[in-house]
Amino acid sequence: MLRNLGMYFRLVGCDLRSQMTFRLSFWIDLFSTMAVNASMFASLYLVLERFGNIGGWGLGELAFLYGLAETSFGLMDMIFSGFDYDYFSTLVREGRLDQILLRPVPPAVQVMGHRFVLRRVGRILQGAAVLILSFFLVDMFWTPLKVAFLPVVLASQVVAMGALFIAGSTLTIWTIQRVEAINILTYGGVELMSYPASIYPRALRAIFTYILPFFFLSYYPALFFLDKTDPLGLPVWPPFLAPMVAGGMLWLALRFWKFGLKHYQSTGS
Amino acid sequence: METMRLYLRVMKLSILQQVTYRTALLAGLATNFFFGLLRAAVLLALFQVQPVVNGMTQAEGLTFVAFSQALIAFLFIFGTYDVMNTVYTGSIGADLARPMDLFFYWMARDFGASLVNLVIRGVVLVAVFSVFYPVVMPATIGQWGVGLVSLLLGWGVNYAFRFLVNLTAFWTPDARGIGRAAYTMLMMFSGFLMPMRLYPDWFSRLVALTPFPSTFNTPMEIFMGLLKGPEVIPALITQVGWLVALWLLARVVLRRGLSKLVIQGG
Repeated sequence: MLRNLGMYFRLVGCDLRSQMTFRLSFWIDLFSTMAVNASMFASLYLVLERFGNIGGWGLGELAFLYGLAETSFGLMDMIFSGFDYDYFSTLVREGRLDQILLRPVPPAVQVMGHRFVLRRVGRILQGAAVLILSFFLVDMFWTPLKVAFLPVVLASQVVAMGALFIAGSTLTIWTIQRVEAINILTYGGVELMSYPASIYPRALRAIFTYILPFFFLSYYPALFFLDKTDPLGLPVWPPFLAPMVAGGMLWLALRFWKFGLKHYQSTGS
Repeated sequence: METMRLYLRVMKLSILQQVTYRTALLAGLATNFFFGLLRAAVLLALFQVQPVVNGMTQAEGLTFVAFSQALIAFLFIFGTYDVMNTVYTGSIGADLARPMDLFFYWMARDFGASLVNLVIRGVVLVAVFSVFYPVVMPATIGQWGVGLVSLLLGWGVNYAFRFLVNLTAFWTPDARGIGRAAYTMLMMFSGFLMPMRLYPDWFSRLVALTPFPSTFNTPMEIFMGLLKGPEVIPALITQVGWLVALWLLARVVLRRGLSKLVIQGG
């Protein structure tokens, strides 16, 4: 385990050094990434100037949901860059996965270490800024439990979305091409988590509560942090299911990953 | 006449190429539809606060959502990086050797792909969306006609802007980063994220001074009849004005860029 961790940091270190070689490019990339994501929030902010709220949630409360989801997606996108299915499918297509399988380090560690896209920091910073801003906008009433639970929720979102990246990459072992429909769950997932569950139609709400439990990662914890009551009158425990949900998703994704590797047939190129 | 035929051939080849990627078309359609559902939920929640905003009703807001998703591929909302790649790889040399103008050559290629995306991704998406939510369609044939003309003009303005963004590759190795930022502006100021009428008035008045609303917001407003009668004429003139201005600018920038372009052999 420790050896794998050491190997992971070595691999990531190599990739980081190569990215920092072109410094100006890096900064331009970083700022453009920040601009892209900031514009989404700017749009929300401007619309709320006219309407005041979305489904009874004001700017501060929406900023909390949005900031949390953006920060964790940015973190995930950086840490799990190797499992970005657009990238991973090129490993499969070009037969580079063969090399990975031949080395005496667990494949998942190698793929994770293959790529660590530093410019995603732009998205993380932007998300974190909105999240911190939201604490002031809603005048958050902090309790020790909230302070302790916030990093847990953040980590849960990172792990859960990372699990989707792993599952999406595993699919490309069979399809060879990238599977664009996975975007619905990943990029769609962030968008979904950025708004209160109560605005969505019942069918969508059911799917993303019981089948793909995204709302346990964002909406329910947000109710707890913001001291809001659920319009559906929920018991007290759902906000705290986030780590269990994330752990379960990761476990399933890794099972699928092992299964996929067992059935991997090289493209031979 | 002869060159016109060449451009049509380029367009036809591009159509055939686009039709080959059928699974990608379907997957794209599914993704656009899902995002359409999410955006619709947000729009519905907004209109619950205020039923009519700047003359725009809930049904018109939902139509906006449907078309923004339907036209993502038609308008290359996430941007294109093809021309800048040919600058970096040097294959622009081969393109320049063709008896065609570079601006119109890529225009024909893009338009071919756009036509396929309009029919397959656009029409199908609006049809499926209309099963779940109301979609406002033009009331008269005339409105259909003007709407389509405005949509084509919008496509042109959008294309000219993307072409210009790609030309930055002549001056910097980081044109991709510049492109990402530029296409974000396009996304936000074109009305793709939110109809312009829902933003605060000071903001939409400011954005109206840029070419961006001409690409998507204006065609949509004409199509749904939010702009009608005499209001349509200045809207169309603005679109034509931006198209010509950006095209002329692209010519100047291209000539400057080419004068400093060095292509290495091998």
